[in-house]
Formats: sequence, structure tokens, C-alpha cells
Amino acid sequence: MEIKGSVALVTGGGNGIGEAVVKHLAKHGAKVAVVDMVQKNIDRVVKDIKEMGGEAVGIQANVTSEADTARYIKGTIEAFGQLNIAVSCAGIIRDGMMLTLDKETGKVSRKLGLDKWQAVLDTNLTGTFLTMRDAAEAMVNGGWEGLLVPISSVNKIGQVGQINYSSAKVADALMPKIIVGEFLMRGIRNIRCVAIAPGYTATPMLTGMNQEALKAILEDVHLGRLVAPEEIASLIGHCIENQALNATTIEITGGLCYPKGIAK
Amino acid sequence: MQNIFYNDMQFSVKPRGERWDITYSLPNGSSAIAGAGLFAGLPESEAGARALALIKTIFPVGIKTVGPDVTHPNTIGDLKIIGPDVTHPNFIYWNKDSVSCPREL
Repeated sequence: MEIKGSVALVTGGGNGIGEAVVKHLAKHGAKVAVVDMVQKNIDRVVKDIKEMGGEAVGIQANVTSEADTARYIKGTIEAFGQLNIAVSCAGIIRDGMMLTLDKETGKVSRKLGLDKWQAVLDTNLTGTFLTMRDAAEAMVNGGWEGLLVPISSVNKIGQVGQINYSSAKVADALMPKIIVGEFLMRGIRNIRCVAIAPGYTATPMLTGMNQEALKAILEDVHLGRLVAPEEIASLIGHCIENQALNATTIEITGGLCYPKGIAK
Repeated sequence: MQNIFYNDMQFSVKPRGERWDITYSLPNGSSAIAGAGLFAGLPESEAGARALALIKTIFPVGIKTVGPDVTHPNTIGDLKIIGPDVTHPNFIYWNKDSVSCPREL
């Protein structure tokens, strides 16, 4: 599938990886729907695309809402007449250990709250499911060629302090196998699914963290720096154009290793 | 250029070359872009109609109700215990009696 002339919808398109994906696709001739919760981020990105001479529509929405999902899918088709690419970049973190012990008594003093668990599962897993499901529905009913791109994470392997995030991201990474398998069973041959699992990426969330902690993380990255959001966007662009990429999850980490050099 | 007044919001559909931009006014007086570079080659009347349809889709009129958390009930046997949605940002924990409606002891 060619990027030029296609229609893409990117959740979390107002900043970070999502913004880079939106701009990459617009730069290469795609019409894009920027979906985000923060209106001022939507405005900034749509304005940038306008200045690039591109075509964009901005839709403020919450990906955990079924009604909002239906609204931004419908809005994209209303604006551009079709939908070919859906990328679910919207994601949050609410880190914490499952149990915290009292140093003096050794007893549990705090548990990870259900609010932190549920919020991360709702956005990172349910939100991704809803976007993939409704985008696929629109593509099938419209008869349009398509690519579904759930965004997973290298932390799908299980990161301490992220039982909520890792649980959601490992489930996101499974989606391509299941979705494409079901498409095959149903005779749907023109829609592919490829998940992307980024490593530590130079998004506002990460560049704003404790710089000492960031330095320690980078010591385990073979590349020696954070992955740029534009590099992830470029990979998604390649996934769109390379039809053989399907039913898989691709890691893009810069060579993230465990201490002592074992690649994750 | 066309102005559309819908759901207490002021939208403008402006031409840019062969394409159309849709902007709208925010309550603080500034403007935001709903869409840029849309409806290539369409005449003003058609672009206005398409813009209105898009605006109605993106900004639906309606009431959103926040009810109990029916998605995650606790169960005791066959009984479902449905608590308030404590994760919702509008949920407030009351730790004192209402001033306007004090508890009668």
C-alpha cells in the first residue's frame, strides 16, 4: 500500500510517537486524523500539518470510550471518504510496585491501587482494542485496503514496577497474530496488522524524567541514545509499504540489553 | 468563506487554494483548527455542506451521564454489588455532611 493518497488515523497523535507518526505520514502524502485528549496538542499538530501543505482533521476524544471511538472513526471517513491506516499510540503509565512493605514490620503497607491498574488497562489495552476493532469494521465494510498498527512496548517482556503497563503491552503485542488469523478465517485478505514495540524513546514523558536514571537506562542501549519518535514513524511508514510485513510485532529499541550485554 | 453557528459554537469554512480549512472559536477568544486542507476542488456550497456534516460528527450534541460502575461489579453468589465509579474524575469522596442538606440524627 502506498502512503500517498491513503487515509490514516492516529490516536495519541497530539504528541510523542503519535505526533511523529502523523507528521511522517502527512509529509509523504497521507490524509491524517489527529486524535488526542488534549485540544491544544491537536491544534498545534494540525496547524503544523497545515503549514506543511497537508490534509488533516483534529478530533478530541477519549480512546477508552466506545462512543468516542465510533465518533473519530466516523469523523475520519466523513472528512476523507475512507480509512486505510489506524495507529493506536494513545498510552499512559501509572507505575508502582504491586506490594510495598513497611521497612520496620516487613508487613504490606500499601497495594497497587485498582485505579492505577484499571486506568492503564483501559487506555493501553481496551483503547487499542476499540480502535483496532472499529477501524477494521470500517475497512471491511468500506472495502478499503488497510493496515492496523497497535503500539506495544519492549516492556511487554515484563518490567518491575509496571505490572499494569507490561500486562497491557504484552496483550497488544499478541493482537496481530489473533487479528490476522481471524481475517484469514473470514476471508479478509486486504487488511494487515503489524504491532510496533518501541524501546526507550525520546518523548516528552521520558526526556522529562530524572536525568541520572535516564543515563543509567542508556548504558544498556547499544545505540547509546534514546530512539527518536521519527525513527518509529519511519518504521511504520515501511510497514505500510511492505505488504510482506504482517501478523507480527516488530521491536525498535536501538539494541536494548540486560546488564552484561544480553539483548532483550 | 462560510460561517456556521452550531451548538453554541462559531465555525468558519475558509478557502485555501483549492482546499478548505475549518476553524472555530474557543471560549477564551482564541481559535482552533478542526480541519486543514479538506474537500479539495469542491465548490463553496458543497464544501460548506460537507463541513457541517463533519462538524456534527466531531462535535455531537448530547448529554453524558456518569453512573455507577456497572463494568466491574463485585459478586457474592448470584448477587452483583455495583459500586460508584471511583476512578471517574468527577467522583468526589464526601467526608462531611452537606451544608445545605445536613444529616438528621
